[in-house]
Amino acid sequence: MSATTEHTLTCRMQAEPAALERLCQVVRVRGFRIRQMSADSADGQLTIGLTVSGERPIGMLQSQLEKLHTVAQVSTETTLALARA
Amino acid sequence: MNGAQHILEAFQRHQIDTVFGYPGGCIMPLYDALVDAEGVEHVLCRHEQGCALAADGYARASGRLGVCIATSGPGATNLITGVANAHRDSIPMLVITGQVPSALIGTDAFQETDVLGMALGIVKHSYLVTEADELPAILEEAISLAQQGRPGPVWIDIPKDVLLTDIAAMACPSAAPDIAQAAQSTLTTTAPPCPDLSDALALLHNARQPLLYSGGGVGLAGAEAAFRAFADTSGLPGVVTLKGIGNHGKHSPHQLGMLGMHGSRAANLAVDACDLLLVIGARLDDRATGKLADFAPNARIIHLDADQAEFHKLRRAEVALRGDLNTMLQALTQALSNRPLAIADWQAQCRTWATTKGFPAADNEATVAPIHGPEFVRQLSRITPDDAIIACDVGQHQMWVAQHYQFDHPRHHLSSGGLGTMGFGLPAAIGAQFARPDQVVINVSGDGSFMMNAQELATIRRYRLPLKLIILDNQCLGMVRQQQELFYGNRESQIDLDDNPDFLTMARAFDIPSLHIERSDQIRRGIETILAYQGPMLLHVAIARDDNVWPIVKPGAGNREMLDEHQRNRKETPTTKTSKETAA
Ligand SMILES: Cc1ncc(C[n+]2csc(CCOP(=O)(O)OP(=O)(O)O)c2C)c(N)n1
Ligand SMILES: [Mg+2]
Repeated sequence: MSATTEHTLTCRMQAEPAALERLCQVVRVRGFRIRQMSADSADGQLTIGLTVSGERPIGMLQSQLEKLHTVAQVSTETTLALARA
Repeated sequence: MNGAQHILEAFQRHQIDTVFGYPGGCIMPLYDALVDAEGVEHVLCRHEQGCALAADGYARASGRLGVCIATSGPGATNLITGVANAHRDSIPMLVITGQVPSALIGTDAFQETDVLGMALGIVKHSYLVTEADELPAILEEAISLAQQGRPGPVWIDIPKDVLLTDIAAMACPSAAPDIAQAAQSTLTTTAPPCPDLSDALALLHNARQPLLYSGGGVGLAGAEAAFRAFADTSGLPGVVTLKGIGNHGKHSPHQLGMLGMHGSRAANLAVDACDLLLVIGARLDDRATGKLADFAPNARIIHLDADQAEFHKLRRAEVALRGDLNTMLQALTQALSNRPLAIADWQAQCRTWATTKGFPAADNEATVAPIHGPEFVRQLSRITPDDAIIACDVGQHQMWVAQHYQFDHPRHHLSSGGLGTMGFGLPAAIGAQFARPDQVVINVSGDGSFMMNAQELATIRRYRLPLKLIILDNQCLGMVRQQQELFYGNRESQIDLDDNPDFLTMARAFDIPSLHIERSDQIRRGIETILAYQGPMLLHVAIARDDNVWPIVKPGAGNREMLDEHQRNRKETPTTKTSKETAA
C-alpha cells in the first residue's frame, strides 16, 4: 500500500448548476478526499481550487476529471507526501 | 413549436425513428405531441427499466443512438438500472425525462426526485433544462455527445413547463451557440490525427511472443474490418474480452477465445506467457485480468483506446495511444504488411493451445437427461444463421453463450458486461428486433433472470415481434450456487428456484406458443422448431441443476489458477436452508 499524498489541483469548468457535485463525486469515487476547496465564478466559468489527499496516482484523478464534459482544464500544482497516520 | 414538439423535430432531423418509453404526469406534453408526430415510432414497454434496456439493445445491435423516455419520480428511478447498464458498457443513449414544473422544483412536489443528482454517476453527461430557449441547443449537444469518442448515456431532465413553452423562435439549433460551444472535454473533441506509431511498431518487432487483447471498443468504433485486416496481416494470436467476442469473426485461425474468470485455458495461458500485450479498445476489467499482480507478468503493454482515462488506470502501458481505432489499425496494418512479424514459433504454440485447451466440449453421443447447458449452446450455434443476434441474461447461461457460441460479429452478441444486469436479455432482444427486423433475434435467459423483466412479454405480444425465447432452466440461481459450492463450503443460501412458475403457461398468457425439452436428443428439433415458427416462440430447456461453468478462476486469484471440473470437490449433499423453510 502506498502512502497518502496531498495534491493541489486547479480546475476550470462551465458554471452549470451541477458543476460542483460532478467534480466532488469524481474525486470521492476515484479514491480521494477533499481537504480544502475554493470556488470563484466569472463569465459563466468556475475556477475551483482543490486540495485532495489519497493513495492513488493523481494522474488518474486528473484524467477522470478531464473527462467531465463541462471541464475545460485541470492542472496539478504540487504534491506533498503526508506522514502515514 | 413548444418544447415537446421541438424534441420530436430534433428526432426527425437526426433520423431517430424508434424510441422506447412510458408516459406519466410530467412527460405528458411530449406524449401529447407524439399524437401528431410523423416518422417516430414510440415503443411502449411495460416498465421503464424495460425501456432503457430495450434502447440499449437497440443501440448495441445497430450501432445507432438508443432513446428512452419516462416521466419524473418513479419513471426516472425505474430507468436507473438500464442507464447504468449502458454507461458501464459505453452504449450511446439519449435519456429524456419529464420533471415537475420549474416553480415546484425543490418543494417536494408530487413525483419530484432529484434526477440530475441521482444520475450523476451513471451518465456521460446530464442536463436539467432551466430555460426553455436552451432546449434546442442542449438536444443537439446531447445527441452528438452520446455518440462521440467513447459513447455513453446522456440524460436530459425537462420540467413540464419547459415542454409546454413556445420556443418557435429558437427552433434553429444554432440559435443558442454559447451552450453548443461550451467547454469540450479532451475526450469528446474530434478524434486527433493518427498518433505516432513508431514506438508501438518497435515494440511489436522486438517481441517474441506478442498477443492481441481486444475488447468492446472495436465494435463501438465500427472498426471490425480494420481490426480483422490487422489481425490477419500481423498474424498475431488474439484473446478477447466478453465484450470483444466476435471481433475476430468465427473463422479466424489466430484467436484463442475469451480470457479471464471464465475464459479458456488457451487464452489465459497465452496471456500468462506473452511478452507483449497489444490492448485494443479494452479497459482491463478485473473479470478479465484476474489478480493484477499476476496478470501478463512478462508482458509490456501497448494500449490503443478512445478514452485517455483508461491508460495506466490498472496497468502501466509502455505505449498508450489515444485516437480513432480505425485510423490507428489501418496505419499499423500498412506498416506490418511492409515489414511482417517473425513469430512463427509463437503462433504454432498458440495454435496448439487453441486446439487442445479450448472450452471443455460437452458434445455427447449418448442421449442425456437433463440437458447440459454447454451442449445446448453448441447446437444452437451450429443451427442458427450466421447473422443471428443472441441476447443473454446474467449467470451461468451467459457464460456458456460466451464460451460455446461462435459469433461472427460483436454486434451479434448482446451481453451485459460491466454491470452484469439480470433482466437485460428480454428487453435488449426486443430493442435489437426493432433495430434489425429481418434478422433472427434470440434471447438466451436463465430461470432467475427471465423473471426480472418478464413483463416485457407484453411488449412482444403488442408489437408481434418474432423473437425466439430460450430459458435454460436449472431451477436455481446457478451462478450464485456455483460460487457457494466452490468458495463458501457448499452452503447454499437463497438460490433455490424449484418453485418457478410454469413458464409455458406464462408464455401462453401472452399468446406466445412454447415447447419444453429435457433430453439431449430433443435439442436439435427444439431449436429448429422455434426458428421455423413465424412469430415469437419460447423454448423451455430443463438443464442439470448442478452443472458449473468451467474453467473458473476464484475472484481475486490470478488467471493461472483455473479450476476445472476434475478439481470439483462436491460434497454429497449441500447444506441447504431454503427460503421456504426460513419463511415457515
Ligand atoms: C439485478 C441483479 N441481481 C443480482 C445479481 C447477482 N447474480 C448474478 S448471476 C445470478 C444468478 C442468475 O440466475 P439465472 O438467471 O437462473 O442464471 P443461471 O446462473 O442459473 O444460468 C445472480 C443472482 C445480478 N447479476 N443482477
Ligand atoms: Mg438458473
